Amino acid sequence: MPFVFQRVFSMIPTLAGVVVGIFLITRVLPGDPARTLAGEQAAPSILAKLREHMGLDKPLWQQFVDYTAGLFRGDLGYAWHTGHPVAEDFATRFPATVELGIAALFIGVIAGIPLGVLSAVKHGRFIDHVTRVISLVGASMPLFWLGLLVIWLCYSQLGWAPAPVGRLGDDVQPPTHITGLYLLDSILTGDTMALGNSFAHLIWPALVLSVGAIAMISRMTRSAMLEVLGQDYIRTAHAKGLSPTTVVSVHALKNAAPAITTIVGLELGQLLGGAVITETIFSWPGIGGYVTKSIDATDYAPVQAITLLAAVIYLVVNLLVDLSQGMFDPRVRHG
Amino acid sequence: MTKRILSTVALGLAAVLGVSACGTNANSTSAAKKTDASLTVAHSEGGKTLDPAEANDGTSDTLVIAAYDQLVTYEKKVVNGKPVAKTETIVPMLAESWKADKAGTTYTFTLRKDVTFHNGKKMTSDDVVRSFKHIADSASASFLYKMAGIVSVTANGENSVVITLKNTNHLFLQILPMYSFSIIDMDAADKAGDPKWLAKNTAGTGPYVVDSWDPATEAKLARNDKYWGTAPAIKTVNMKFIGDASNRLQLLKKGSVDLALELAPKDVETLKDSSGVVIDSRPSNKILFFAMNNKVPPFDNPKVRQAISYAIPYDKLLTDVMKGQATRMKSAVASSTPGFVTTGYTATYDLAQAKKLLAEAGLATGFSFTFTLGSGFPDWNDDAVLIQAELAKIGVTMNIQNMARAQFLEALAGKNVQSYISRWTSFVNDPGYHLGLLLTSTGTSNYANYTNPQLDALWTKAATEQDAAARNTLYEKAQLLINQDSPWAYLYEYNIVVAQRSTVDGYTSYPDALIRYAQLNKKNT
Repeated sequence: MPFVFQRVFSMIPTLAGVVVGIFLITRVLPGDPARTLAGEQAAPSILAKLREHMGLDKPLWQQFVDYTAGLFRGDLGYAWHTGHPVAEDFATRFPATVELGIAALFIGVIAGIPLGVLSAVKHGRFIDHVTRVISLVGASMPLFWLGLLVIWLCYSQLGWAPAPVGRLGDDVQPPTHITGLYLLDSILTGDTMALGNSFAHLIWPALVLSVGAIAMISRMTRSAMLEVLGQDYIRTAHAKGLSPTTVVSVHALKNAAPAITTIVGLELGQLLGGAVITETIFSWPGIGGYVTKSIDATDYAPVQAITLLAAVIYLVVNLLVDLSQGMFDPRVRHG
Repeated sequence: MTKRILSTVALGLAAVLGVSACGTNANSTSAAKKTDASLTVAHSEGGKTLDPAEANDGTSDTLVIAAYDQLVTYEKKVVNGKPVAKTETIVPMLAESWKADKAGTTYTFTLRKDVTFHNGKKMTSDDVVRSFKHIADSASASFLYKMAGIVSVTANGENSVVITLKNTNHLFLQILPMYSFSIIDMDAADKAGDPKWLAKNTAGTGPYVVDSWDPATEAKLARNDKYWGTAPAIKTVNMKFIGDASNRLQLLKKGSVDLALELAPKDVETLKDSSGVVIDSRPSNKILFFAMNNKVPPFDNPKVRQAISYAIPYDKLLTDVMKGQATRMKSAVASSTPGFVTTGYTATYDLAQAKKLLAEAGLATGFSFTFTLGSGFPDWNDDAVLIQAELAKIGVTMNIQNMARAQFLEALAGKNVQSYISRWTSFVNDPGYHLGLLLTSTGTSNYANYTNPQLDALWTKAATEQDAAARNTLYEKAQLLINQDSPWAYLYEYNIVVAQRSTVDGYTSYPDALIRYAQLNKKNT
C-alpha cells in the first residue's frame, strides 16, 4: 500500500509540469483565439471586445493564476468554440470516447491474444506467417482510410452498418444516464431498444479502431510467448505429460502475462489517440473530435483540460499496469 | 439532365407562387400547409453559440434564424427560376411598418401586436429596446450596430420604437434584417442570471423552437405552432453535425439525410448521376481573390499587379478546381451585389500580355515573391499550385508558404503578408459595406494595403447619399478605379451548393447563404 501512495504522490510534480507546460505552449504558439473565433471579417473593435470577454487582455501571469485557481475549484474553463463550459463538454463527450476505447481494446484483447498465442505455438508454420501478415497489415493500415472504406462498404453498399452519425439512431432515445456508457447503461436499465441500437452504432468504429490494437497485442503476445515457450520449465511440463493446452494456457500464458498487460495498458493510450481520427470519420461525439476542433480554434481552456486529462489517464493506467505485474510475478511485488 | 431541368422548373414555379402568395410575411415561402414531415440535414459544423449578437458561423447563424425574428426582412425575387432574396427591398417582419423623417435620421417602427415569444410572453417595444442594447454591448454584432450609425433606441408606447441615427445611412435598413439584429426576450435571459445563458438557450419569436443543441452531435428544432406568421410546413428539423464531407455525401445518397451542405465540388459532380438527389447550385456573393500587398515591392507597381492578373488560368480554376461550382469574378464587388459593374476590368489569361506588362514595369527577367497559403480550404491549395505553374512561365517564382488558419489570420492582420488568397462574403449585400471594409484606406480588412484617395472620397460621398441611383453611380466610379489599379487578381465567385433529396423544396438563397428551414417543405409526405 505505501507503494501506491508513493506512486500517487509522485504524480503531483508530473501533473504540475503538465499544467505549466501546456499553459505556456498554448500561449506561445502563433494564432490568436479571439481572431479565430471572430473569423476573417472581424474588425479590431470586435477583437478588442472579444479579448476582454475571453480574459485575454489580462497579463500572462494573471491568466495563469486564474487558470490554476479555477483548477483547484474544479473549474476547467469555458470552451469558446462550443459555447459551453469545458466540464459540461467533457461530461457529454468523455463517456463516448471511453465506451469506444474500451470496446476497441476488448476486441483487441480477445482477438490479439489468441492470435499471438496461436502464432507462437505454431511458430514458423503457415498459420504463424498468416498471423504475422495480419498484424503487419493491421499495424500499417491508415485509420482514416479503413474508416472510410468500412463506411462505404458496410453502410453505403451493403447496408449492414447504420448511418455513421454518432452513438444512436434518430428514433432511439439514449438510455437513462448512469455511467454515460450507452451499452452499459442500457443493460443496467434493461433498455433493449437502446442496447441493440447503440451496439450497432458502436461496433463499426470499434472494429476500425481495434485493428491497430489487434496487431500490436498479437505481436507482443507472440514474442512474449516465444520467450516463455523456450524455457526449461515448459519442457518439464511437457515431459510431465501435461496436455499441450494446459501447458500453453496455464504455464506459458501466465508467465507471458506481465509483458502482455504492459502492452495492453499502453494500447489504451494509443486508442485514445487513434480515437481522434475514428471519431471524426464516424461523427462519434467523443473527446477526439473535440480535441481537433479545440486545437483548430486555438481554444485554450479545452486544450489545456484535455492535455491534463490525458496525462492523468496515462499515469493512472501505468500505475495499474505496474500494480498488476505483482499479481503475475511475485518477484516484482511491492512491499 | 431532364430530371434536373424538371426540378428546376418545379422549384421556379414554387418560388413564383411563393413570392406572390406572401405579401407581408417574407419568412415563409410557398402556400405549403403545415405537415407532420420531418427534415434531416447534414451540416459540417456544430455551431458555437445561440446568441444572435455573437453568432458568426453558419450553423450558429442557421439556428438563430430559425428561432428568432427581426424587425424587417428582405423581399424575394426569382432569378433563373430560383427564389433569391431581393436585398434592395426591405419588407416588414416584426415591425408592420416604419417611416423615416425627412433628414433620414429618425426612424419610427410600428410593431405587430400579435407576436409572442416562445414562452408565451407578448413582444413589446421594451423587448426591442433591450435587444438592441444587448447587440450594442455584444462583442460581435456591436460592430454592425456602429456601422448602422445607431445613436439611440427608445420605446414610444408599447408598440412603437424610435431609432435615431448619427447621419443619413443607407446601410441602416440593410443591416436590420441580419440575424444579429434578432429580437430577444431579454427578461428570460435576465431571469436566468447567467450572462452566457443566451449562448446555450433561445428566447425568440421565430418559426422554430430549439429543442436541443449539442455541438458534438445534433440539434433538434420543433415547429412553433403559435407562430405569428405563416407556420412552417416542416414539423421537426434534425440538424446533424457531420465533420467529414464524404460522409455527408454518402448520407445524402443513401437517403439518411434530406439535405447536405458544404460538399466538395468534386463530390457535387458525382451526385449529378445519383437518382433522387437534386443539386441546387447558384451564384452567391462569396468571392475569392488573390491579393497582392500594394505597399510591398514589386506589388507597389500597378503594372506588376496587372501582369499577375493576366497570368492566372481563370478557366482552369473554374473547371479543374471548382468543377463548375463557381463563376468568374469580374469586379471588386460580387456580380449579385446591386451597383456591380465590370468597367475597367480587362484581365484574361494572356501570358504574352503579362510578359509585356512585366517588361514595362522593368521586370522583364521576372522576380520572386512569397505567397502565404492559409489552411482549411482545399480549393485555395489547388488554386495556388495552378497559379504558381503559370507564373513560372513568365519567369515569376511564387514561393508558397503554408500556414495554419489561426496563424494565417494573425499574419494577415499584421498587413505585411506579400500575397495571399482570401474569400469574402458581404452579409450586407451593398457595395458601400463591401468596399468600406475591404478596399478603402481605413478598411479594417484591407490587408493588401490598397490606398486610393479618390476611392476614399467617392466612398465617403456615397455613404450619406440617400438616392439609390446616385449612390450606385458613385460605386460604379469606385469600381472603375479599383479595377484599373488591380490591387487583387479576381479569381472566382463561389456557388452556394445545396444538395438535397428530390422531395425537398422551397430553398431560397440569401446573401448570408443560410438556410431558412421555415421556407422548406417536403413533397409526397
